Amino acid sequence: MADTPQVPEVNAPSRPQPHEKYPWPAEPTLVGKRIQRVDGPIKVTGQAKYSYDINRPGGLHGRILRSPHPHARIVAIDLSAASKAPGVKAVMAVLQPGAKVMFQGEEVAALAAATEEQADDALRLIKVQYEVLPHIATEALALREGAPQVFKDGNIKAGDTEEAGDLEAGFKAAAHTVLAGYATQVQTHVSLETHGCVCEWDGDKLTSWVSTQAVHGTREQFAKALDIPQANVRVITEYMGGGFGSKFGPDAQGIICAKLAKQAGAAVKLLLDRKDEHLASGNRPSSASKIKAGVSADGMLTAFDAETWGTGGAGAGSGFPLPYIYVFPNRRRKHRDIFTNAGPQRAMRAPGHPQGCFHTEMLMDELADKLRMDPLAFRIKNLPPEAPNAMWRKYFPIAAERFGWSKRHVTGDPTPGPIKRGMGCAANRWGGGGQGTKAHCEINPDGSVVMRCGTQDLGVGTKTIVAIITAETLGIPMELVRAEIGDSNYPFSGGSGGSTTAPGVSPAIRVTSGMALDALKAKVAPGLGVDAATLVASNGRIHVKGDPSKGLAWRDACKQLGMEPLAVDGQWERGLSASGTSGVQFAEVEVDIETGVSKVTRVTCVQDCGLIVDQLTAESQCIGGIIGGVNYALFEDRILDRVTGHMVNPNMEWYRIAGPSDIPTIDITLMNQPERGVIGIGEPPTISTAAAVANAVANAIGARIRSIPITPEKVITALAEREKTGGTL
Amino acid sequence: MDHPKPASPLVSHATCEHLRHKGMYVMSVVDPAEFQFYDKYDATAYWCTKTQKPLGPDGKAAHASACHDGRECCSH
Amino acid sequence: MKAFAYVNAANQQEALAALSTATRGRRLPLAGGTDLLGLMKDYVAEPDVLVNVKNLPAGIAVPAQGLAVIGAAATLTDVADHAALAKTYPALTDAARGVGTPQIRNVGTVGGNLMQRPRCWYFRNEEFHCLKKGGARCFAVEGENQYHAIFGDGPCHIVHPSSLAPPLIAYNARIKVAGPQGEREIEAGTFFLMPDRNMFGETVLEPTELVTEVVIPTPRNVSAATYEVKFKQSHDWSIVTASVALRMSGGGGGVVESARVVLGAVAPVPWRSLPAEQMLKGKRVDEAVAWQAAEAALADARPMSGNGYKVQVAKTALRRAIMKATGAKVV
Repeated sequence: MADTPQVPEVNAPSRPQPHEKYPWPAEPTLVGKRIQRVDGPIKVTGQAKYSYDINRPGGLHGRILRSPHPHARIVAIDLSAASKAPGVKAVMAVLQPGAKVMFQGEEVAALAAATEEQADDALRLIKVQYEVLPHIATEALALREGAPQVFKDGNIKAGDTEEAGDLEAGFKAAAHTVLAGYATQVQTHVSLETHGCVCEWDGDKLTSWVSTQAVHGTREQFAKALDIPQANVRVITEYMGGGFGSKFGPDAQGIICAKLAKQAGAAVKLLLDRKDEHLASGNRPSSASKIKAGVSADGMLTAFDAETWGTGGAGAGSGFPLPYIYVFPNRRRKHRDIFTNAGPQRAMRAPGHPQGCFHTEMLMDELADKLRMDPLAFRIKNLPPEAPNAMWRKYFPIAAERFGWSKRHVTGDPTPGPIKRGMGCAANRWGGGGQGTKAHCEINPDGSVVMRCGTQDLGVGTKTIVAIITAETLGIPMELVRAEIGDSNYPFSGGSGGSTTAPGVSPAIRVTSGMALDALKAKVAPGLGVDAATLVASNGRIHVKGDPSKGLAWRDACKQLGMEPLAVDGQWERGLSASGTSGVQFAEVEVDIETGVSKVTRVTCVQDCGLIVDQLTAESQCIGGIIGGVNYALFEDRILDRVTGHMVNPNMEWYRIAGPSDIPTIDITLMNQPERGVIGIGEPPTISTAAAVANAVANAIGARIRSIPITPEKVITALAEREKTGGTL
Repeated sequence: MDHPKPASPLVSHATCEHLRHKGMYVMSVVDPAEFQFYDKYDATAYWCTKTQKPLGPDGKAAHASACHDGRECCSH
Repeated sequence: MKAFAYVNAANQQEALAALSTATRGRRLPLAGGTDLLGLMKDYVAEPDVLVNVKNLPAGIAVPAQGLAVIGAAATLTDVADHAALAKTYPALTDAARGVGTPQIRNVGTVGGNLMQRPRCWYFRNEEFHCLKKGGARCFAVEGENQYHAIFGDGPCHIVHPSSLAPPLIAYNARIKVAGPQGEREIEAGTFFLMPDRNMFGETVLEPTELVTEVVIPTPRNVSAATYEVKFKQSHDWSIVTASVALRMSGGGGGVVESARVVLGAVAPVPWRSLPAEQMLKGKRVDEAVAWQAAEAALADARPMSGNGYKVQVAKTALRRAIMKATGAKVV
């Protein structure tokens, strides 16, 4: 392949200068090993207290009355009957007469009662009179001529046009063109733990146990929305059951909960139920495209011209990166946000990327088929040059080898029988750089250590990596370290979004525990008769570097603190983290062409995330991301009734999520890049799964399903269509 | 009718104090090479602290392109 | 959910007594609760009184000769794991194994499986005042009907969700019912009613009656099988399920003397297909015959706007059930 053209090599290493004082250890004892979660046992035994588990003395249960209509004006709200219902202690209108609701599930009124059941029953006594208004249920209806203009500024928001190169010249250089359209559905976050909180006032001070990805950000918003000082608000999230980008503040229900608690003079617990969750707590917007793309006879991409749109319901921001990763020198892309009367979008695990990846990677396979070229070789030719943050040219062959790509048949499984097997692949990239975290470390005279940081653990293992890094730095066993996180009273850390938590938190913990160790060294050095700079901590001892006998056991060193714990504050510093990850995934599917049922059998993942802090939790992120991607490819779909605009599947019954038998065999290879420092891995592993699966389905059945989820209905319809036209891919 | 097109996607100093998006709470370090791999796009979900929704108190979209001076509900 | 009174009936007699004044929807029997509890939480069912019927007969007896008897309170796990039942009635135990999840099978009962309400999303969501809730229209007609009926012509287009009903009908089982007037036995095939006969329930059962037992004749020279098509392999409803029972002629040679063919999840009741039964009669079963039977079964299907694919799925399920009954290996 040496003389075939390829996108030229230009390396731009994205690798930090190592930290001067506290670089990552060259030969770590804990960092990068397979370490179980420190809170695993208490989670699986039910001892860990999630927001829903917080029960305050005299606490009440709050519920929200939501609009049953996707678009309506509120004429009147009568709270009187509800306020007299058994157990009810507080009632409030959220919206006032004259206000409009823009989606089913929008908050209209709320109350708090002694039990959940009383609250639910009383909710139905709130009488709301609506003037029902015309609504827009789907993108197609919004785009239809004469559609009611339900949004004040119109149903469509034109975005920017991105252009580069010379499109005309690009198409002129093309030997083949593909004209196609792709689409992805609206996906809701379906966090296992729903949104919500417990609010309790003590005078003018508010404490709230919130299921949130940002304890500090949630504090700021409580204060802003309630017009109270931030100093009066404390937000606690010791454990949470996932957020996937949808939990960055108190939300409407948090503010309502705080107001109900104030009104009732008692703590109120208000967590959403699954239906509320699907309707009003965010979703990944849909996406759709019409693309014309060209490729030269020797397999180089020449041109890309796309019109795209999507809906984030009653919110904008349905944009997604396109084309994704592969180099189209001449391109144009125009995007429009379409407003519909449906729950507004929110950031969801790699916002925009799974969509951009799906559209692009489907197109790549179609172009490769036109060229009659192996889709993998075709991809490698058109990838950007290799760099630390752009490793696809290296990872694709590694993954292909592990996966067995050489056994791939050309499009359409030729073997007889109803079960057709196919293979597909896709690439991903993400930033994953973080900063700004502060931390506080205390070394106690008994040798125990507290590391306190106002970050939060979404369920991914943040507490564990805090303990790992502290123990690694101090040279002590993890059992001596107590990691305390998830409280806005702890030192500031940013919200857990954009895969920034590990790269924001890890350097802060490294620096802070390094500073604490320096302080301890200074304390014990005189007694040892050595210069503190010659001391190191390892194996539970502080000793002269290279001479473990000349030193003290950790506990003896700490005893020298007397009655005064050693306490230091530190923060994130440069040189211990970076930004820019890359990865690839391969999927194998089995499609039953007589029932239309697709099953993902295997996924191979090759992914980097800089320095790996805990091999186990990093792999868990990949497993979770891939399962989410399988769900996106096959199952998940927010289905709105096209006539009424009501969601028909606001549950986990018809809103399908893979169960144990639906999860493929997952093979993960993490590429360690210790020289880059820590990079986040929360998002990248979910980006390419759906694209790889969809390409595998096309490879299996010889008919291309250009939208996800790939339901039996679509498979059977596509095969019947192919039968009619007699064509193959 | 289309929404007014934003002059700049960046949040200017005249932006309303109640406008929020996730990026304001996330301390990210951007990969300087990011836009070598795709062009700019807007996937931002905005909301208003007054409504806790992507619509302002006036029922119009809460968005960086719209939440600034000249809008009645805007404050600094 | 609406507050309710609870009668903890110690036995069948007490349960019947507690239900003797029942009117539709106001007093309801509660067994495993996997269906009813959800309906109540969603305010689709709002009973005043629940009567515990977990103390109804729960035994399973499979004598070498005579009738097999399954108590209404037997759980789906009891059925799925019953070795003698599996040997004689594999189409039934296979179907039981396909229900929900282990947790659901551990508490869900045979009586409950027959009496469960439809999973139609218009029926299950409070917002839709559909025909079954006394409303004026079936929302599936113009709406999202990919999982709705392809047989039956409405006016309500639910599919019956029972997994056990198709094999029970195929085995020509009888359903024993007790009420204030005493006991009666109903052929499983006539137990279920189309919406034009009963819009507010799916069976012939009166609100004062209880299913107490299921009685199944000994299948002589019968080869039977169930084949279920689900989208997800864990915890999903059937897109279509098919149960067949082929009575083979005595002289050997694999000729079908008579057949019973029942499709699940295609109509408001478990759908017995006489054309397919006719097609199989007198035939030596092979792939081609199975194809013909499947074509015959679906010839009269009237799919809605979004569920045409179910015709193909149903053909496949039936063809595979027939072949599975003959002992052939199917995917």
